[in-house]
This record gives sequence, structure tokens and C-alpha cells, in this order.
Amino acid sequence: MSPEPDADRPQKELSELLKLDFPADTEAIGAVTDAISEVLAQLSVPEQKRLEIELAVQEALVNAVVHGCQSNPMKQVRCRLQSDPQGRIVVIVSDPGPGFNPELLADPKHPENVLAGHGRGVYLIRQLMDEVHYEKGGNEIRMWKY
Amino acid sequence: MGSAVDGLRQTIQEAVDGGDTRIVINLSEVPMIDSSGIGLLVRCLASTKQRGGNVKLVQPSKFAVQTLRLVGVLSLFEIFENDDAAVESFA
Repeated sequence: MSPEPDADRPQKELSELLKLDFPADTEAIGAVTDAISEVLAQLSVPEQKRLEIELAVQEALVNAVVHGCQSNPMKQVRCRLQSDPQGRIVVIVSDPGPGFNPELLADPKHPENVLAGHGRGVYLIRQLMDEVHYEKGGNEIRMWKY
Repeated sequence: MGSAVDGLRQTIQEAVDGGDTRIVINLSEVPMIDSSGIGLLVRCLASTKQRGGNVKLVQPSKFAVQTLRLVGVLSLFEIFENDDAAVESFA
């Protein structure tokens, strides 16, 4: 199945399952991923798929807190969990930061980068999810799991 | 992520600074490893190998193994079923 362009999906077809705003503090991320995990469990999402979504969301939340908000708890990160009529899940994470260009990130599997201590988050998200879009100049990520 | 990774980083750094470069990390109670955890493991591996040591992993979850493979670092590590086997491998 070829994915539809994200922007072409009518927003009215999406059901809001969870919407959380939280201060940009890494210690707050666990509660958000726990809440998402609970909703996914209620939806009977299989464990493997649930783990993949949870890890991708955790990476996106860390990026939003650390890079989007410079870990300033006076700033807020928003996380939304939605589903479409086919039961596909989309998670949207947004921050008030300046955004970034994900195409400029280094390949973490390049031999020069394999032993790096960082730089794998966005790559992991792309591997774990079925469709990933950056919007609003890079400070909003929309991640789909079919 | 966060304080958990920071705590482990400090523990490992203290061990390496104290001359312990043969390190066994038991992951049996870790359901998933995020990018910060992966970064810590590979830096620890590089640091110990520079000093003639190594890092051995024990009982990573199936999902943790999949994640390490996804980012291309699984082959860097030796994996063991239990702590004793990992420790004996240094002999």
C-alpha cells in the first residue's frame, strides 16, 4: 500500500485519542509515554507495534524537549495521539522552537558515526514508524503507524 | 533516557576511571533502549576498548536487540545469556 501524502488526509477523519501539553523537562516524558502506552493497550495494539510507537514517540519527545525547548521547563511541548477510520495511529509532537531541517542530519550508520554518542533519534523514528513528516519548519513531527 | 542514562553513565565512568575496563551490563530488566542509551553503550565500548577492555551485554530484550540492529551497532557487542558466561568470556 502506498502511503497517502499526510497533508491530503482530512483532519476531520482523525479521532483524537489523547492530547497532552507538558513542560519541557525530560523527567516529564515518562508520564507522557506511559499515557500513550495505556491508550494503545486499550486499543489492543499488538505489543511489537506498541513498543515501536512508544520508542519513536520517546525519541520525538526528547528531541522536542532538548533541542526544541533547550530543556527550559517554562516552555511547553504538545503531544497528540490520533487514529483514522482504518485504525492507523498518528502521533504529533510539536514544540515552540526554531525547527530544523531533518535532511541535514548525518547518517548514524556511516562508519564515521557508528561510535558517536548521539545522532540516532530521528533515524530510529524513521525506521520504527511507517510514515514520518516534519511540518512547520521542523518543529512539528507527524508519525504514522499502520 | 534522562536520569537513568545519566546514572549509568556516571557508574560506568567511575568504573573505567578506577581501572575497570572489562564491563558486563545486564539488560534483562530493560524493555527498550532509546538513542541516548545506545549512545551510552557505544561510547562505553569505545572507551573500554581504547584501554584494552570490552563491554559485554547480558539478556537484552528481543526489542532491544532489534533496536541495536536497526541503528547498525548490534555487531559491535558480544551478547550472553547470563552474567557468569559474560564474565568468563573475559578470562
